[in-house]
Amino acid sequence: MNIIVCLKQVPDTEAQIKIAGDAKSIVTDDIKWVMNPYDEFGVEEALKTKEKFGGEVTVIGLGPKRVTETIRTALAMGADKGILICDDAADGSDSIAVAKALAAAIKGMEYDLIFTGQRGVDDDLGVVGASVAEFLDIPQLSLIEDVEFAEDGKSVKVKRPVEGEVLTIESSLPVLITTQKGLNEPRYASLPGIMKAKKKPLDQKTLSDLGLDASDFGEGARKLKIVELLSPPARSAGKIIEGESPQEKAAELARLLHEEAKLL
Amino acid sequence: MTQILTDRRDVDFVLFEQMKVDKLSKHERFKIANKKTLKLIISEGRNLAINELFPAHVAGDREGCKFENGKVIAPESFRKPYKLFQEGGWVSLAEDIEWGGQGMPVAITYAANECFNAANCTFMMYPELTHGAGKLIEKFGTDKQKSLYLKNVFTGKWGGTMLLTEQEAGSDVGAISTSAVKNYDGTYSITGNKIFISSGEHDLTENIIHAVLARVEGAPAGTKGISLFLVPRIRVNDDGTLGEPNDVVCTGIEDKMGIHGNPSCSLSLGDKGNCKGTLLGKENKGLQAMFIMMNEARLTVGVQALGCATASYLHALNYARERRQGKSLMSGKDQNAPSIQIIGHPDVRRQLLTMKVYVEGIRSLIYYLGMCIDQMHVSDNEDEKAKYQGLVDLLTPVAKGYVTDKAFEVCNHGIQVFGGYGYIKDYPAEQLLRDCRITLIYEGTNGIQAIDFLGRKLGMNKGKLFYDLLGEIKKTITKAGQAAGLEGLAAGVEKAVEKLKKTAGILMKAAVSPKALNAFAFAHPFLEVTGDVIMSWMLLSRAVIADDRLKTKAGKKDIPFYEGQIKSVEFFVESILPVTSGKMDSILAMSASIVDIQDSSFGGK
Repeated sequence: MNIIVCLKQVPDTEAQIKIAGDAKSIVTDDIKWVMNPYDEFGVEEALKTKEKFGGEVTVIGLGPKRVTETIRTALAMGADKGILICDDAADGSDSIAVAKALAAAIKGMEYDLIFTGQRGVDDDLGVVGASVAEFLDIPQLSLIEDVEFAEDGKSVKVKRPVEGEVLTIESSLPVLITTQKGLNEPRYASLPGIMKAKKKPLDQKTLSDLGLDASDFGEGARKLKIVELLSPPARSAGKIIEGESPQEKAAELARLLHEEAKLL
Repeated sequence: MTQILTDRRDVDFVLFEQMKVDKLSKHERFKIANKKTLKLIISEGRNLAINELFPAHVAGDREGCKFENGKVIAPESFRKPYKLFQEGGWVSLAEDIEWGGQGMPVAITYAANECFNAANCTFMMYPELTHGAGKLIEKFGTDKQKSLYLKNVFTGKWGGTMLLTEQEAGSDVGAISTSAVKNYDGTYSITGNKIFISSGEHDLTENIIHAVLARVEGAPAGTKGISLFLVPRIRVNDDGTLGEPNDVVCTGIEDKMGIHGNPSCSLSLGDKGNCKGTLLGKENKGLQAMFIMMNEARLTVGVQALGCATASYLHALNYARERRQGKSLMSGKDQNAPSIQIIGHPDVRRQLLTMKVYVEGIRSLIYYLGMCIDQMHVSDNEDEKAKYQGLVDLLTPVAKGYVTDKAFEVCNHGIQVFGGYGYIKDYPAEQLLRDCRITLIYEGTNGIQAIDFLGRKLGMNKGKLFYDLLGEIKKTITKAGQAAGLEGLAAGVEKAVEKLKKTAGILMKAAVSPKALNAFAFAHPFLEVTGDVIMSWMLLSRAVIADDRLKTKAGKKDIPFYEGQIKSVEFFVESILPVTSGKMDSILAMSASIVDIQDSSFGGK
């Protein structure tokens, strides 16, 4: 089974995000970049599937040169090939444009399956997965927590959480699956994996290599414009409920929930 | 971004700018160790350290090890990290691929292990001791011993230990009484009791291979009659499958100050007359063999202490940047002046800079020793090999004795920066201090290191090793002397080196004179001043590179880092070396009071 994983490089979730002077972007100087945690689930699921059915796992990323490091990590985990779409003209593209570039890179390839995270933990938009499926004209299964293939590897049955229930969906292949937390526990790159990663192919492509028009990309082509970034309001101090006895405290809590928070 | 274990910028600086580890890849042995691969190793090691080992640090401390019915249960929180660490191939990064290692340079192993130790030094005792036992098997094992044990030990599938200490044989290992009697089949029956055996019994691995020091019947007394044996906890059949349990029984574990997650076991061997081992190496040559591993183990202890120190420094630094307390001393009587972050207070800065210079100086020294070992391995020139071996021999007591002393001081400052919060268990500072404390004791106390340094290492080849080292330091001084702006600092280090040379000469003579006891009373202070001078050398060497980068090609992001390097050596030369110089005066005075005072005059009765 040939599997593609689309991955994004995002700031480490522990990084302290500072808004830049233009109020539309963040300060990136001090940031440690990591693989989008939802994409890690995708890499892991792809590797597990390959272990079962054979085939090849290709990871694709878009972004500046530093994204190579994230692709190398996926190669060290066990993926076979990497592709980086790296073009200054793509800087500042919105999700639709990113999806267009990824789809263009995938189009000529033979694949049965595409995994990608249900969203990036940086912008939290969740648009790329669905858009790539749309551009490729294949079905999309989103927010998937469990993936099970038919014995012959021709179709897939997945589970998706819906309002406290679980929806089971079947699909033929090829299909794009966006991965949700709980799907698996991503492996760490092993040392032998790290040594092998060095020898694995990692191609770099520009937009024109993919037959794309640079004017459809970048800041100027954004359909979605960022007006302003704001920090969340500082959390106000908590309130400790005073009282002589647990009963008294409980009564006071009920009163506050009713009168101040208006929750009851 | 905030870092909690090791400063990645500094680790990369030492590896690639100061030591140029990636240059080793031009040798066939290390051809896979290019810069990209080395960086990926450090990155992925950090991931494992931060996500898996670090969370188990506090948990392992609180859980501790349990001793039930002769079995030791390791902390539950260590199970998953051990599995991941073992499966990831991290136990033997620098060993032969044929035997389950990864064939990487020792220097990169030290860098990776620094981070693992910073995350959880107690956890690291399991794989590190295992690796040490593997080294013994690799070096002294017969083909059969190797094929039975080595791969499983180097990969961490099985654990490994060292059984030296007995009730009456601690620092004086020659006093051991565990005995070995040769059987008809060539094996030996071992009988005796060992104590303080780290990882001596636990359930993280299905088997444990003990390297045991014992006396063969009729062997000469003292250190010349000690042999080394391999004693598996569970016997291994010729086809590699596990057989009957060997007669090795854990009779208890110690309740310690720190490193709670690793059991310090009392082991009874051959209580039922059925403990069988095989000879490793030659009869009566066990101690020499053990010391080959012991030297490596001492460097490992240095890495462990560095791990505690760097973690303590970064925790303290992060805290000092956030914690607001008190107004600036410069705000005078202004009642409305805002509280400032405590990093703004001069006394806190003094402590942080003290922590920084030791952590960074020690990091450089440790990686430097790793590079010496690697260069020894790849060199085809006998003189060069001897030079690197000499540097490692000479500097091992420094990397153990001095490094652990200073790492503990760093952890102590780490608590102080946190103030009252440093003393409570909600913050990591106190555990790092407790865990670090053992490093001053095991694998030869720091007193023993000092005696080894003065009594053996200093005089080796008529002092050639020591003078070679001073020669290496001089090279850096010369370079620094030629860099505009660093001349004064170079002169400061040179002055200290000259005085150290004089002090060493006088002390060496005294050590073989009737005043030998007086000289050895100052062995530890002498190790300390030597270590100080080596720190100033390492910091000066960093500054030479930083100065060059600042004058030529430092990126905007890197400027504070490089400027920090120059400030570090400035602080060391201006504020610490004068104290070192005073300590050398005190050594040179060689006060007889320590030796002359009557035992009864110590009082107390």
